[in-house]
This record gives sequence, structure tokens and C-alpha cells, in this order.
Amino acid sequence: MKPPLHQPTSLAEACELLDTLEETMVYGGGTAIQILIKQGVLFAGNLVDLSRVPGLAEIEETAEGLRVGPMTTLRRMETSEVVRRRVPLAAQTYGHVANPRVRNTASVGGNIAHGDYRLDPPTALLVLGARVELTSVRGTRTVPIRDFFVDFQVTAVEPGELITALHIPAAPAGNSSTFVKMSSLGENDWPAASVAAQVDAERRTLRLGLGALAHVPRYVEVPLDGGGVDAAVAAATAAVEPELDPIPDVRGSADYKRKLGLVATEDAVRRAWEEAR
Amino acid sequence: MTQTTPEPGVDTGVGSRRSRVGAAGKVLGQLRHVADRPHGGCAHVAVHRSTRPHARITSIDVSEAAALDGVEGVVTGADLYKVLGDRMFTGPAFSDQPPLAVDRVRYVGEPVVAVLARDVATAREAAELVYVEYEDLEPIYDVADALAERAFVHDALRPSVVFGDLRHLSGKTETNIAYQYNLKLGDPESAATQGTSVGFEFWAPPVHHVPIELPATIGWVEADRLELYSTTQTPSYVRQSVADMLGLPLSHVRIRVAPLGGSFGSKMYDRLEPLIAALAWLHRREVRMVASREEAFLLTTRHGAGVISSMSADADGNLTSAIADVRYDTGAYADVGPRITAKSGMIAAGPYKIPNVAIRSRCIYTNKPSAGPFRGFGVPQVTWSHETLIDELARARGEDPAGFRRRNLLREGDESYMGTVMHSADFVGCLDAVTEAIGWDKPLDRGSGRWRRGRGVAVGIKAVLTPTVANAVLQLNQDGSATLMISTVDMGQGSDTIMPQIVAEVLSMDAERIRVVAVDTDVTPYDTITAGSRSTYHTGNAVRGVAERMRERLVDLAAKRAGGSSRDLKLTADGVLNTASGEVYRISELIHEHFGARGATLTEEFNYTTSWQPYDKETGRSAKATEHWFAGAVAVQLLVDRWTGRVRVEHLVVAGDVGRAINPTLVEQQLAGSAIMGLGHALFDELVFDQGQMLNSTLLDYQLPSVKDLPGKLTPIIIESPHATGPFGAKGVGETGIIPIAPAVANAVRDAVGVRITRLPLSPERVLQAMDEAGVEK
Amino acid sequence: MKLIQLTVNGRRYDVPVDDDELLLDVLRDKIGAYSVREGCGVGACGACTVLVGGTSVSSCLARAVRYDGAELTTADGLPEDDAVVTAFVESRAMQCGYCIPGFVLMAHELLAENPQPDREQIVAHLEGNICRCGTYQEICRAVEVAAERRARA
Repeated sequence: MKPPLHQPTSLAEACELLDTLEETMVYGGGTAIQILIKQGVLFAGNLVDLSRVPGLAEIEETAEGLRVGPMTTLRRMETSEVVRRRVPLAAQTYGHVANPRVRNTASVGGNIAHGDYRLDPPTALLVLGARVELTSVRGTRTVPIRDFFVDFQVTAVEPGELITALHIPAAPAGNSSTFVKMSSLGENDWPAASVAAQVDAERRTLRLGLGALAHVPRYVEVPLDGGGVDAAVAAATAAVEPELDPIPDVRGSADYKRKLGLVATEDAVRRAWEEAR
Repeated sequence: MTQTTPEPGVDTGVGSRRSRVGAAGKVLGQLRHVADRPHGGCAHVAVHRSTRPHARITSIDVSEAAALDGVEGVVTGADLYKVLGDRMFTGPAFSDQPPLAVDRVRYVGEPVVAVLARDVATAREAAELVYVEYEDLEPIYDVADALAERAFVHDALRPSVVFGDLRHLSGKTETNIAYQYNLKLGDPESAATQGTSVGFEFWAPPVHHVPIELPATIGWVEADRLELYSTTQTPSYVRQSVADMLGLPLSHVRIRVAPLGGSFGSKMYDRLEPLIAALAWLHRREVRMVASREEAFLLTTRHGAGVISSMSADADGNLTSAIADVRYDTGAYADVGPRITAKSGMIAAGPYKIPNVAIRSRCIYTNKPSAGPFRGFGVPQVTWSHETLIDELARARGEDPAGFRRRNLLREGDESYMGTVMHSADFVGCLDAVTEAIGWDKPLDRGSGRWRRGRGVAVGIKAVLTPTVANAVLQLNQDGSATLMISTVDMGQGSDTIMPQIVAEVLSMDAERIRVVAVDTDVTPYDTITAGSRSTYHTGNAVRGVAERMRERLVDLAAKRAGGSSRDLKLTADGVLNTASGEVYRISELIHEHFGARGATLTEEFNYTTSWQPYDKETGRSAKATEHWFAGAVAVQLLVDRWTGRVRVEHLVVAGDVGRAINPTLVEQQLAGSAIMGLGHALFDELVFDQGQMLNSTLLDYQLPSVKDLPGKLTPIIIESPHATGPFGAKGVGETGIIPIAPAVANAVRDAVGVRITRLPLSPERVLQAMDEAGVEK
Repeated sequence: MKLIQLTVNGRRYDVPVDDDELLLDVLRDKIGAYSVREGCGVGACGACTVLVGGTSVSSCLARAVRYDGAELTTADGLPEDDAVVTAFVESRAMQCGYCIPGFVLMAHELLAENPQPDREQIVAHLEGNICRCGTYQEICRAVEVAAERRARA
């Protein structure tokens, strides 16, 4: 049966609906949900549409970085001047999701709530140490993104909760970063491996976010001990390798994706390093 | 207005690059397609599909579906069988395919029950509420299973009445081989023991056409006649097929077609039409079905094909022997697979002079969706084999692969190993053009480190569909405009643009004043099919013939008016000119005078039919297997990422011999477009099955080349080696470009990193694995 | 059923829609905008592209009820002398033409954001539209021609 679509006009009403209705699912941009419906694999009793709740699509500049509303589109993250200035890695990474048209509709909140292991944005958010603000009738709590992706398509969002903001700290001055996405079939395909990488100004720490390389997006922090880029690559690939646990599918075997993950890691580290010069 | 209307005096005849008909309408999306027919009040059809690859149906429970609000009817295969009997089984080569499964299912996704409902959502919901119980039979997942003959997809073979040469197969039991073609010339086994030989086992996987327009069929009954409005390349075939099924005279079945949003072979023969025709007829109701993308994937596929083959050359570098064992996986229903098997099998050794050849080509049933025609008609799969073999043979001899091919290519007047003489098939010209354009003889920077560069070349040969029948009716209107009636379907190849150019050339008129009527079997004359690159030649000849008759008619009218003979009379752009007196009889006046009426029309018709000579039963050879040949060649320069296996094409050159380009722009677009489609097949297109279940039947998972997958540079080249009997020397081009793409790419990969890959596609994983196995240094 | 208001190509329509009705179906079946076409149903081919307030949307993934009050553009509503339309016609950027309206609207969106895109930017913007006839070279050229034409106008 078709789950009814509820269209609350305030946050309080949305929380109320999520609290009282059975088998609820938050409807953000709707791109992923509509595909699941089409494929007959959406299991939800009620859809709660956030499009009429005011104030959920704002990007605010804060002392630490940005506070992004969950209904902000991926395309705004890619093109917004303030996002490009404060967190260029996020802007770059959001610009790689699907295609521009889907990015116009898909939302920041829905993107992470979907919990798909192949999505691009989590890789950058993991590197940047973002925090997810969750709200319900019980109040508001904040979960670090590094604790957010719990299991295959399972996130830290509890029943009755919705994502009300994403806090993205700006990276400290002098750091440099990049995002590398590798597909194995068409160029425009889902990634077979993706890596976001950031190196700090002192070149003491490499932060890596891995996409499509395990059943959840993975975060890897690599301490560096002052060597050059080759040493950093060696340290990064050594740290990444045990984290790789890819799911085989039409895009490649687990073994191939593991190899690709290491190449993507190397590419990302080298490019980030280059930019730092 | 943006529609280009040529200035007076601008040539729109043969050879002109006139703008595509209806260009602005296409850009604005104003061109109407079949699914755009308004559907208020009609019944929408959805089908319940088999979840088993091979099983007996033990029971079907439709009670819940029938009880759903908005459902008008639920129909099973048994219901149809009660009314139609064996007539419900249709197909172009074998009458083996039911619109709904009867007693037994043969692939996952086969239609079992049809639901008619007030809207699509209700119909689909009801289809989910049908419950079928099965008793599983042993599934046959691939050709190896099929040839083991532990189980059979069909109890007995059922060739259709269409092809006389298949009659002997009727009723044959205990086989999964629908058809087998054998060619034998000389003694290839002994010849192969001398000189240099190479041999491999090849695989080209099933792929899908994925035209962006989804298949759609709408059917209704008017009094005692059935009308179908359908996305089909084969309206004349569909009329016959549906008339046979329902036991109606041809006059009582009308098929109309709108221009197609692409097809590439997917929308032909029996797709949605038999089911919709049966439902409309039995329910006396307008019924409509637009396939979803997932359903479209199940309607037909390109044959996956395995080839075990070898090729040999003597010490002088002349080919001496070729052997090929070809296996086409035709899925659960034969469709046109038996034709593909022979037409492609007969040239499985390539366009070369070879004195000793043995080919066995088999069409094999499996429990998968039926495979049918796809741009190239089975030839790309065998080209994958022969263009790899000859490349490797050249390398084994230490020869340049282009030069080695060039020496052995068939030339004008040569009799090929399959018995037919070559005419208007300039393989050497195509090969020379692509090698020159890619800079074959210039030094190549092979790259260093991670990226390595290579070049590859390949040649293609294909026969045109023969025998076929084409008819054209031309009405010349009193005002000097004209209406052309043909049953060629424009699906993007541009027939509605080039056919008027032929008329314009003959009648010295402006093609913009000639309109091609949308196909309607009540109006437009019989035409075998729009497929196999046959229309420019066959229908084009009918069009040229009808225009010439019209020209004679005008000259006759002018002669009558002049009161004398037609000597000195010549049709010009201004009218019929008396070259002796300088007098001009304008067409509008001639027709007005003839009928004594404004707006009257002169009508002429013309038939063009080709013939063939069936294959010799012993040797498989034929002195005329085809009316003519298509020749093409491709050269590629590419980079291979040795770390990831990723291939990036820097330059792709594709050349095709078209005899004469009626409209060079459209020819270039067909060449470039088929090259891009072929590049997908070379690098990533593949339908993936697991235990008979299609795993990637959505465009999220099935990959098509996007603008990001374009080669850095793409150069189409037209070769014109005029055809003696082609309309102004012309022949088709729709398939020429796609045929040699995959082997050209693989040959370039071989050149770049030294590995020979014989399974398609050349996915990065496969390339990397081959490099690992060969110990290529990273 | 809810009554929503859509402005399509400057004309206002009041249409009753179900919660789960797709913008694609509403535009085709209730407004007759047949240039909007289903190709894949999953946002991957671009045949169903419409502009909502100038922004491209896959109407096959969009519920109509969420677009109450929106201003939409579909390709069939563009004027024939539109710079992008004429550039496509003159660049011969079509074969069967089925996918082209989607490309035209994507080009409109791109040129509104970035009046002088380079080839790489054009490719990046059109990556989610499939032309199965393989007319990409002509399409990219058409976008460049349209940009030049708009710059001169």
C-alpha cells in the first residue's frame, strides 16, 4: 500500500508526527525514496515531508564553520559562495553526487540519513569532523558524524528523530584537501571507490574518508612523522588497507575494489599534498 | 522560424546536407510519440511476471487481483489459449513465443498474467496480488548447460511458416539447438597445421539497446477491425503477425506508428503487440501498455555469444585457414535468432580471402529473456573474434596489424569464402582512411609510468538483409508539392529526411516540399522491415523508381499538351522544358489541366524486391547470400591506467562505405553515434545474470555512455564506393560503425600494455586482472 | 486529492493531484506537456527534465503535491527563436530527438548560471542526460553556440 504523505508546517508538528505515527520515514528531497518506491523496496507506513517546514534550508556561517539545514540541496552545497569559502572540501565533494539535476532536489539531511555506503558527501564530512543535530519530541542531541554511520544502511537516527542540522567545522588555516572518485564502468556511475583526504598545515595528520569501500563510510586518521609525500602515501595506504571491506557487485569484485581503494587513497593524498605546496 | 528553408536554388537533392526534417519540433519536444496519445477512459495493462527461470505452472490464483477496486479484467495464458489455440504462439523465425505463459514459464520475468485496470498504479498493484504456484524444472542458465542436454527449454521445435528453409526442423525434440548453420570450404584443419596459427575462446555478453523512448502499444477495436498504435520498426510484420493470431484478414488490422525515440533493434517483431492486440480484441476495449524501463530490459536483448576460433597464415603472410564455432544464446524464445545465427555465422572469419574455412554457428535456447535483433544483427559478436585473431596473427608473424589485414582483405570482384562476390565494399579504402586519420605510421609516444598509450585497428563486414520487399507510393499534388508513402519508420536514422532528397533529385524539386506520411498500414504500402541497414537501398530504390515514374508521367502530360512526342522534353526545376523550343510547362498547370481541378494529385507506385540464393545444404555457401555488403573500419588511440585498468580513448576514427551519402551529415551522425554505442559495449555495457535473474535492469546499474565517456576526439569518415544498383549509388549505414569498435579497442589495449583480452567488456577489473596474470610491471 | 496550482510556461493551471502523483505524469496527462518524457524513472537519463523556477528537476522523482505554486518551464513552451533552441537546430544536435528537450533545459540552466561555460563545464552539467543516438558532440557544440549567441544579443 502507498504510505500517506504528511506535510507538517512546523518543526514541532513534524516531531509530533514522527512520534505518534507508525513506521515513519522522513521525506526530504525524495530522490532516494522515490527510487525505492519504484523498485518496490520502500518499507514505510507514513512519510513525513519536510518541504513545508520553514527554516530547514538555511546555510548559516558560525564561529566554527557552517550550520546547514537538512533541506539544503546538494547543489547549493556545491555552488554556495560561503560553503566554497569555509569548507571547500565539502563543496567539491557535494559536486560529485549523481548529476546536477538530482543534486538540485536531493537534500543534505536525506543524503546522510539514507546511509548508503557509496555516497560521496560522508567521506568529506568524516574528514571535517561534522556533527549531526537530531531533534525529536524528546529534545535535541548531537552525534559526531564519525559515530553516525552504524551499519549497512543503518544510522544513529533513532525512531522519532529527524536531522535538523549539520554542523561542519571549517578546517584550520593552512590545511589542504581533495576528493577523489573512481568509477569502474561509465564515468558518471556510482563510485567503485572514493576518498576524501585532508592534510593539516603542519603535516602532522592525514584525515581520510572512504566511500564505497566497506558497508559503511569509513574514517581513518593517519599520524605523520615528518617525511615527504611518499612516506605519507605509504602511511595512508597502510592505515587504509585494514579498513577496506568492499561489497562485490556489478562494479567489481571485493578484491578489485580493494585495489582501487588503495589507488584512490594514493591519488587523494598526493593531490592534497600538492595543493598544500 | 528556425526551420531551415533553403534559399531558392539551394540544392536539397542527393548529396545535400539538408537539415533533418522536423528539427525544431524535435528540439522543442513537439514531435508526438506513441505514448503521447491521450488515454482518458482506456484500460491500462500490467503483467504479473514469472519468478522462476524454468517451471511448470501448477496453479494461478487471480481472485485477490480481480477483486481490487478499479480492476476490469484478469487474463491468463490459459484464457488466451482457450480462444486462440496454437495461433497465440508467434515469432519471426519460430512460432514459439506466447504473449502470456501457458502451462510453463521459461525465464525470470516472463509475463504470466495480464491485468486490465483504470490506471497504471491499480493495474500494477493488482499484478502483485496474483499468486502463481510452480513446480520447478531444471533451469538452463547458459549455452554450456543447454548443450549438456540434461533438460530442454522447449519440448519440440516450432519453426514459423515465414522461412521455408526452417521447415525441416518442425517437431524436432530433445534439443536446445534451435538452428545450426555450417560452412565448409577446403580443408581448414590440414591447412592450419602449416605456417602460423592463433586461436582463442571469445565471449561477448548480452547487452541491451536501451532506446530512451520506452516501448508502448495501444490497441482498440473499431467495429470489426483491430487498430494498434505502437512503437515498432516492423509495422508490416506486426500486421501479419496479429492478423494470423486473431484469424483476421489483413484488411481488418491496422498498425500505426509514430516516429520512434530510438530503437536499435529493440522494437521489432513481437514485443508488446500480440498481448495488447489479444486483450483489445477479447475485451473490445482500448487497452494501453507502456513498458517500464525494467520491463523494457526483459522484452529483448542482444545475444550473448561465445566463439571458439582460430586463424592461420602461411610463410608469405597469406591467410590459409579459419575455423570458428559460434554459439548464440537466444534465451527462452528464438525470435529472429536463427536468422542472426546464419547471417553472422557465414562471415565469422571476417572480410578476408581465405581458401579453407569451417564455421559452425548455433542458435541455442536457454532460460533467459529472449534475445533478438540489435544494431549489427549478431555480427559484432563474431567480429570480436575475427578481428582479434587477425591482429594476434599479425603480431605472431611480427607484422604490422594494419598491413597484414590490408594484404588479405577482400577486394571488388573477389568471391568470398561463403560464395558471394564482393561489390561496393571498400574494406581497403576504409582501413586506409582510418589509419591515415589516426596517424598509424607516425611515431607514438607510448607514455611512461602509470599511463601507457596504444593504437588499434579493426575492420568489419556485414551483409544487408536479403531478400526484402519495398514499396513506395508518390502523390504529386497539383501545387507541385508531394506526399510520399512508404512504411519505413524514422527512429532517428533520418529516413524521413533522405527519402525526399531522392525524390527531389529525380524530380528537380525542393525536398522541403515533400512530406513523408507517418506509417499507417491502411495507407502506406508493404515494406518488409526497417532494420538491417536495408532501407536506404531497398526503400530508397522504390522511392527512386516511383519518382522516375512520376517524371515520365509529367513528361507524358507535357507531350500531350504540346500535342506531340516526348522527345526534347525534360523535367527541370521550373517545369517540363521543351529543349528545342524553350517552352516550359509548369507542373501546377499540367496537373490542373489534366484533372480540371485545383488540388488534385497524380499518383504513382513502385516496387523494389531483392532476391537471394539459399545456402547450399552441404557447404553453407551461396552465390548470392546477400544483395550487398557493408564495409567499415575503426582505428583507436587510447591510454591505459596501469594502476586501475581504466581505459581512456583519446581518438576514435570510424569509416564506413556507404556507396554514396544521400545526406553526409546524417551519415556522419550514424557513424559517430554507433561508434559511441559500440564504445559502451567495448568498455562497460553488460547485462548481468545470476541464476537467470537479471541483476542490473535499471539505468542506475546498467551503464550507457554519457557525454563524459566520449573519446577525446571522434572522427567519422564517409567512404563512397558507389553501388551499381543503389539509389544514386547509395546503401545503408546504420550498423556499419558499431561492428569493429570493440576489437579495435582491445587491439589498442594489447598494443598499450601487452595483454590480450578475449572477454567483453574490457572493464578496468578485467584489464587489471589480465595485466596481473601476464605479470605486466606496474 | 489536493488542488494545486502550477504555472507552466507562463500559463496557470489548477490541478487536482494525489499525494503520490509524479510531476512527470501531471505535466503529461493533465497539462499536455508531452516534451516531458519518462526514460528511466530513476533520475538517470534526463528525458523528464523540467525547470522549476529555472532550476532543473527530474520530474520522474518529484511528487507534484510538493510543487504547489511553482513556476515551471518545459521545452515545448520555449519560443522557437530561443537562443538555445536555434543553436540546437543549427548545430544538428539531434537524431531521434527524444532526449533533446531535456538537454535543452539543462543547457538553459547552465547558461543562466554560467553564461560562458568552457567544454569541461558543459560536459559536467550534461553528464546526467543520456542521448542513446550518441549526438553528444553536436549537443556540446550547440551549447557553445548558444552561449556565443546570447553574449552577442
